[in-house]
Amino acid sequence: MPSFTLDGQQVPYEPGDTILRAAWRAGIEIPHYCWHPGLSVAANCRMCLVHIESGRQMAMPILRFDQAKQTYVPDTKPKLMPACQFPAGDDLVVSSTSEVVKTAQQHVQEWLLLNHPVDCPICDQAGECKLQDYWATHDQQMKRKRTEIVHKPKAVRFGPTIVYDAERCISCTRCVRVCDELVGDHVLDSRERGNRSEIFVAPGRELDHRYTLMTEHVCPVGALTSRDFRFKARVWFLKSANGICSGCAKGCNMHVDYDPRSREVERLRPRDNMDVNQFWMCDDGMMSYKAVREDRVLTGLVGRGEARERVAASAALAFAVERLSAVPADKVAFVLSATASTEENAALARLAEAMGSVHLYLAARPDWEGDDILRSADHNPNRAGANLAAGHALEESVEDLVSDLLAGAVGAVVAVGADSAEALEALAPMAALDASVVFASNHGVLSDAASVVVPIASWAESVGTYVNEQGRAQAYRRAVTPPGGVQEGWRAIADLAEALGHGLGVERTEELMPMPAANEAAAAAEVTA
Amino acid sequence: MVADYEPILSSRYGVPDAHRLAVAERNGAYATAKKALLTMRPDAIKEEVKKASLRGRGGAGFPAGIKWGFLNPKEGDDIYLVINGDESEPGTFKDRTLLNLDPHRLIEGALITCWAIGAHKAYIYIRGELAHSIAILDAALDEARAKGYVGARPFGKNYPIEIFSHPGAGAYICGEETALLNSLEGRRGEPRLKPPFPAIKGAFGMPTIVNNVETISAVPDIIRMGGETWCNLSRLAPRDGGVRLYGISGHVKKPGVYEAPVGITLRELIDDYGGGMLHDDRPLKAVIPGGSSTPVLRPDRMVEAEAEDHPLHEWHGKSEIDVPMGVDTFRALGTMLGTCCAIVMDSSVNMVDAARNLMRFYRHESCGQCTPCREGSGWLQNTLEEVCEGRGRPEDVALLVDIANNMMGNTICAFAEGTAMPMLGMIQQFHQEFVDAAAAGLPEGYRHDDSTRAGLAGDPADAVADGASTDDTSTDEVTA
Repeated sequence: MPSFTLDGQQVPYEPGDTILRAAWRAGIEIPHYCWHPGLSVAANCRMCLVHIESGRQMAMPILRFDQAKQTYVPDTKPKLMPACQFPAGDDLVVSSTSEVVKTAQQHVQEWLLLNHPVDCPICDQAGECKLQDYWATHDQQMKRKRTEIVHKPKAVRFGPTIVYDAERCISCTRCVRVCDELVGDHVLDSRERGNRSEIFVAPGRELDHRYTLMTEHVCPVGALTSRDFRFKARVWFLKSANGICSGCAKGCNMHVDYDPRSREVERLRPRDNMDVNQFWMCDDGMMSYKAVREDRVLTGLVGRGEARERVAASAALAFAVERLSAVPADKVAFVLSATASTEENAALARLAEAMGSVHLYLAARPDWEGDDILRSADHNPNRAGANLAAGHALEESVEDLVSDLLAGAVGAVVAVGADSAEALEALAPMAALDASVVFASNHGVLSDAASVVVPIASWAESVGTYVNEQGRAQAYRRAVTPPGGVQEGWRAIADLAEALGHGLGVERTEELMPMPAANEAAAAAEVTA
Repeated sequence: MVADYEPILSSRYGVPDAHRLAVAERNGAYATAKKALLTMRPDAIKEEVKKASLRGRGGAGFPAGIKWGFLNPKEGDDIYLVINGDESEPGTFKDRTLLNLDPHRLIEGALITCWAIGAHKAYIYIRGELAHSIAILDAALDEARAKGYVGARPFGKNYPIEIFSHPGAGAYICGEETALLNSLEGRRGEPRLKPPFPAIKGAFGMPTIVNNVETISAVPDIIRMGGETWCNLSRLAPRDGGVRLYGISGHVKKPGVYEAPVGITLRELIDDYGGGMLHDDRPLKAVIPGGSSTPVLRPDRMVEAEAEDHPLHEWHGKSEIDVPMGVDTFRALGTMLGTCCAIVMDSSVNMVDAARNLMRFYRHESCGQCTPCREGSGWLQNTLEEVCEGRGRPEDVALLVDIANNMMGNTICAFAEGTAMPMLGMIQQFHQEFVDAAAAGLPEGYRHDDSTRAGLAGDPADAVADGASTDDTSTDEVTA
């Protein structure tokens, strides 16, 4: 691989790379605001200016104070180039740390804050703001401008999800480019000129496409804030776990940001994965963390409707054992879930095998609207993983289960996950069963129809694996601990198996994860990543 | 020497109604285009323009013939000619005379150039404020179209050429060629990243030649006279050829646009063409040589070029305003020839105030794309306002230099340099004036720019309404 010299270090590059992209790939940061690896080059922030040693001097002079003459005399300086735009080349010797570059960086940094309100104490970006970071690394001086800043519109509603503060904006146009290039919707642009510039929403429009939160995600400063997240948390209190989005079969990689003090998930952010979601997530995916907080099953539930009672999780499990023991083992139906982890599904499939039941079904959410960007039409994160856990493609749906119940082929149901495509009315035969046990983190149509509901941890509270539509097994890590008394799904299922006398003999989730042979290496890498 | 000069480029300026096709044609228009299209190969035309050493008249002075040679179209590419008539540089008002008085010369030049470079479409982008010029050009284009000179078969030749006029929307930056192309395409007028240069990827993604109105207007004469003959009209031939339009404004008796050979001196321009200084008791203090972006020169500074190989050695020891006005000579002098339209300032001008006036303009016109220009232009103006109002500090002079030094060369286009260069030039040439103003504000009794404007406009508030509002507190659209 060819390489060039950056600050005395050899940096490899691929044909077509710019200096900044090659450095980024090598894990070296050249400071920048407007450049984003997933967007076109704008080269407008000028923070990434570097000195190409073979480059030319400026044609026109600058001035230097001559102490002897006590006046200004012409001087010259090298022509600096933006690293984000300048193509990497074999013989290049590049400096991003020389005195002349430092001077340029310091000035750009000072200029960006020149008309900035410096309202960090009330800004949601504080703590993850490039203006703060680069001030500390590249400026460290008090502002030399003495007069009032240029005032511009604040708290402008861009749409249902985004609020804009023009005074904090550095006009890097990342948000404009996300809309143009990722979404193909030219809904944002710049207006006015000079230091009155601001971003605005096209007249008659709102910022309302499916990826609006990506504008906030790419904003390097506090100009765009998410209406969902703003004023909720200080980012330096947040910790992060690696997650996989549960929204659809794409399997976008994400950061699950949570507050360890309250053990609440506060937001999701895309985690770069060039093979899956690149740098992005859709709004529905970004908001999917709400499921961790809302509509949860937090205790065991026994009975239905008015008669439903809350019991301890362990008591619910005991009820389940009692009810299921009354039905012949080979008559128990097992409903795997396209929304549950592969491990949860595998635990259930093993129990089915141990009990000698061949009645396996797959519950799945109905399709939603996909697109050509990220969203899969399959609204389930783990259809492939459920099939993998069963050892074969699950052909039979919950609708088939209902038919089999009516026909008397099965007499009891054990399901993991509460989501299914059917309406509750369609599940009447299941709702009439004495022994219908559902392991669920959230309420859904299956848990409503169940006679016993055992609470389990949500995806944010467990480790697990989803296999996406590409067949890619992707592990997610636990962010927060489950609510008191609630176990991870596979463990609850293993406990049930134990109590029914069909112990699974597993102690760790890894033992449950059936690897697809072709995918083994990739998945192993993913799991350990 | 002014008296016996026979104008070439502006030969029809004195002819009444020369903007009418019939009148222009009686006075020589279109004969050359007809000859060129019917009898000359494109390469032969390009060769003549190359020999003419026609330096671009828009300000950068790049040789037009060489620029045309950068075209390297791919199969299936359309080539466009774009003519830059967005003349907005303060102090510059030459192109509009061509548009107003002799639009058929421009159309003829466009026809020849299209044929030479292989273009079938030309766009003439005109500064939107020049409504009068646009109307005249449009009428001239209609006449040329009706006559068949512009259209499917110009002069009967099976080589369609269409010429469109396109008004700008009031932004100085759209005179920058790539911002102009963006504006032409209906985009926001912001300069594009280069490379690719327009000759490779210009208007509508196609190879494009962008030339100034005066550059294209010179083409018919070059083809008519032959490149070499035309070139040798210049005093600086062969590097900088031909004749050009000189503008002069400010404190002279006869401000205006004059044609002369390339290479006359600023002193000649002021004394022979401009009629000398306006007031006998107010001598020449400084000249901005070619549009407001070019660093100022002063008559009492002498050229220091002792070394024999110095490009200005010939003028060593002479005043800066005795150096011939050429692209290369003025660059060697540390300034630029720019648009060749000089702004003359007499001893009544305070340079700090003049600088403030200029910086108000640049702050207002910076497109806002690049950080150094967006913030630097505003800060320069802001600092100068403080200094002029007597709220300056001694260190402000160094601050102005520091801001301007760091704008130089650090942006996408040359606007930041066009802002920083005159700032640096003024401080270099008139350091003491800035030091004094930073310490104590502007001196008593100087001719205040605002008061002059107010005197003309009648209402002092109008005169300062725009530029002085450094700290604009307009808060429309605040929904907080």
